[in-house]
Amino acid sequence: MASFSLSTPINTALLLYILYLLQRILLPRTSVPAKPHSEFKASYSWMPRAHPPTLLYTTYTPRTLAPFNGLGDAEGGGRILLAIAGTVFDVTAGRSFYGPEGMYGNFAGRDASRGMAKQSFDIEMLTPIDQPLDKLEDLTPDEIENMKGWIEHFSNKYIICGQLVENDAI
Amino acid sequence: MALSDFLVTDDLTILLGLIAASVFLLYNLYKPQSLVHPILLGRQSDVGRVRNPGESAVHRNYGTGLMGRFPIRPAREVQTLNDLVRPEFDAPRTLWSTKISNPQLKQRVASFGTGLLRAGLTKDSNVLLLLNDSIEFLITDLALASHTIPSFTLSSPSLLSPVLEQHPPTAIVIDAGFLPSVLELIYESHEASHHVVIVVGEPKGKALEEASKQIKLVRWADIEAEGERGEQITTPAADPNDIFTVSFYEDTSGQLQAAQLSHQNITAGVTAVRALLPLSNPMSALDTIVSAHSLSTAFGRTVAYTALYEGTSFATLQSTQLFKVDDGPVPTGLPDLFSPRQYSLPSPTILFVRPTHIDGLVSSITRHAKDSFLYPVAWRHKLAGIMEGYSTKESLWDRLVFDNARAKVMGEGAATIRGVVVSGEPLKADLLTPSRIGLSVPFVVAHTHPLVTAPIFASHPHDLQTFAPPAGGHSDAGLAHVGPPVVNIETKLVGVDDDAIAKGDDPVGTLHVRGPVVGRILTVEEEVPAENEERWASTGHLARAQTNGSFKVWSAAK
Repeated sequence: MASFSLSTPINTALLLYILYLLQRILLPRTSVPAKPHSEFKASYSWMPRAHPPTLLYTTYTPRTLAPFNGLGDAEGGGRILLAIAGTVFDVTAGRSFYGPEGMYGNFAGRDASRGMAKQSFDIEMLTPIDQPLDKLEDLTPDEIENMKGWIEHFSNKYIICGQLVENDAI
Repeated sequence: MALSDFLVTDDLTILLGLIAASVFLLYNLYKPQSLVHPILLGRQSDVGRVRNPGESAVHRNYGTGLMGRFPIRPAREVQTLNDLVRPEFDAPRTLWSTKISNPQLKQRVASFGTGLLRAGLTKDSNVLLLLNDSIEFLITDLALASHTIPSFTLSSPSLLSPVLEQHPPTAIVIDAGFLPSVLELIYESHEASHHVVIVVGEPKGKALEEASKQIKLVRWADIEAEGERGEQITTPAADPNDIFTVSFYEDTSGQLQAAQLSHQNITAGVTAVRALLPLSNPMSALDTIVSAHSLSTAFGRTVAYTALYEGTSFATLQSTQLFKVDDGPVPTGLPDLFSPRQYSLPSPTILFVRPTHIDGLVSSITRHAKDSFLYPVAWRHKLAGIMEGYSTKESLWDRLVFDNARAKVMGEGAATIRGVVVSGEPLKADLLTPSRIGLSVPFVVAHTHPLVTAPIFASHPHDLQTFAPPAGGHSDAGLAHVGPPVVNIETKLVGVDDDAIAKGDDPVGTLHVRGPVVGRILTVEEEVPAENEERWASTGHLARAQTNGSFKVWSAAK
């Protein structure tokens, strides 16, 4: 004859578990936590922990721009910036090109306008930091067009994060 | 006793084991799926990567993106205001109490426009509209726009005398019932510049004769009849960037401001308003839209033109009557919400209302729902669904408890209402959950401004996230968030604390907006725009950007 005994431990445990689940189904939890979860998997009502990071638009001089050459100085912090025609671009994402070992590493932390216009990566294209900014007066219209094309390319690919002014302008 | 004595199993164990397994599966798999995935609600706006010192980054709707172009018209051929009345749509629908189809409306607009030109108006005239919302307002507006004659509107009757002084109009279109109260003002300004007064309706008795002695008075119906005779005068189509109306309003500091709106502002506004409700069930000719925003405001105008474009029936609430034609009290709350019942309108399906209407409606529904003994369980289950992001009007608890309550409060509207957009004042956060449960339809919280034709911010229609009020006693602690910027506007906050942002706090500052839906403020000095870019317009309101891209907006305490 089959035996049905609720007092055995396993049966009691299973019964209690069933009653617990039924209680959760019929009377669901509806509490709102005081501080929202920070993961979408944890809860439907969630809030990300932090805002997306933003850069502050800063005015640079050739001296303050120079540390940003990707060598990881205390001032530069590993960011790579370069300037074309007074606009400073954050090219940290292109470390393989503009970083210390990159093909165009000469441009990091410098005013690259002349190099972009003349399509050359030589050191002679760069003006020393202590001297006034390159006025670009002797460039042909073709070279100016080329430089504008590069500005367009950089605006789409990288972030514009500042402007470049003379050393004594700040 | 040995362990095996404890672990004795029998047939009941197997039975209970099977029951436990099935209840467990039921509990875990029966969770309803959220209407919108929570990952999308964590990134509602696209944030710029760079910000100026003292400002926040530029925020745009995530769907538009930072590189995307703003949509400026609902379809390619809709360039000006008159294109919003589609001639191929010839089913009749009810506008206030008039059943009319698009071709008939276009015909009336053409007749009235011709009549106006024959009455002496030219492209350089300005026409002041002192009309309550009605089909005559729409016909006048469309007629003036078709002949590129700018119209003026006021957001409140107290602005009448400053406007008559500073911007004297060539003609005034006015409701007959309102005429006696402003005769004095009109006589004064008439001495400065002679103008025509066009009256809608029949003024009572002696007012008409007296007035005609001093000013030139014409009936609206006469102008339309005159225009029907003979040749229709046509004007070449306007450029979408031409200003077609100037909306006068009072800004947050009490100053008179003039918002110049162009055809493009309205078509872009219509595009944004169409995108407010879920795309799976867009507005169509079967809908009836009811609006609590007067046509004399930018947003109210856009809602009306959206209704015209989609071919829905349309009416406004009685509280939109700015120009009192009688001395009766203005209804508020629920009686106001049901005022369109006086028109022979189909039952409303989409509501564009204010928080006071929602407060009245939802508290009434909750009160009636409490009559049922199942109310506590029903409330708990609906709330549990909302915690999971799911809400529906056809659940078991609606059928048992809430449908009855809604029917008692709203009558026929209970079954037909399928979307609600709340704007006008900030909505309190503790009204959100009762509204979501009581109405159980897509509920959009939006923020509007008199300068902008579309809402500046609008929450996702399926957003059911619930948050506890934040600690700290901020001015916006008790407010509901208004979501991200709409599809064709970009916003930034000015005057933020850079140190606080560096620490990771939310940026809080004055809201500035830019985009095709933002009108141009009429300034006394003619400022030459510095670059090709449009300038940012300040709204005068304070706002906070939250980490998930939604905003909270409030007015600075006076």
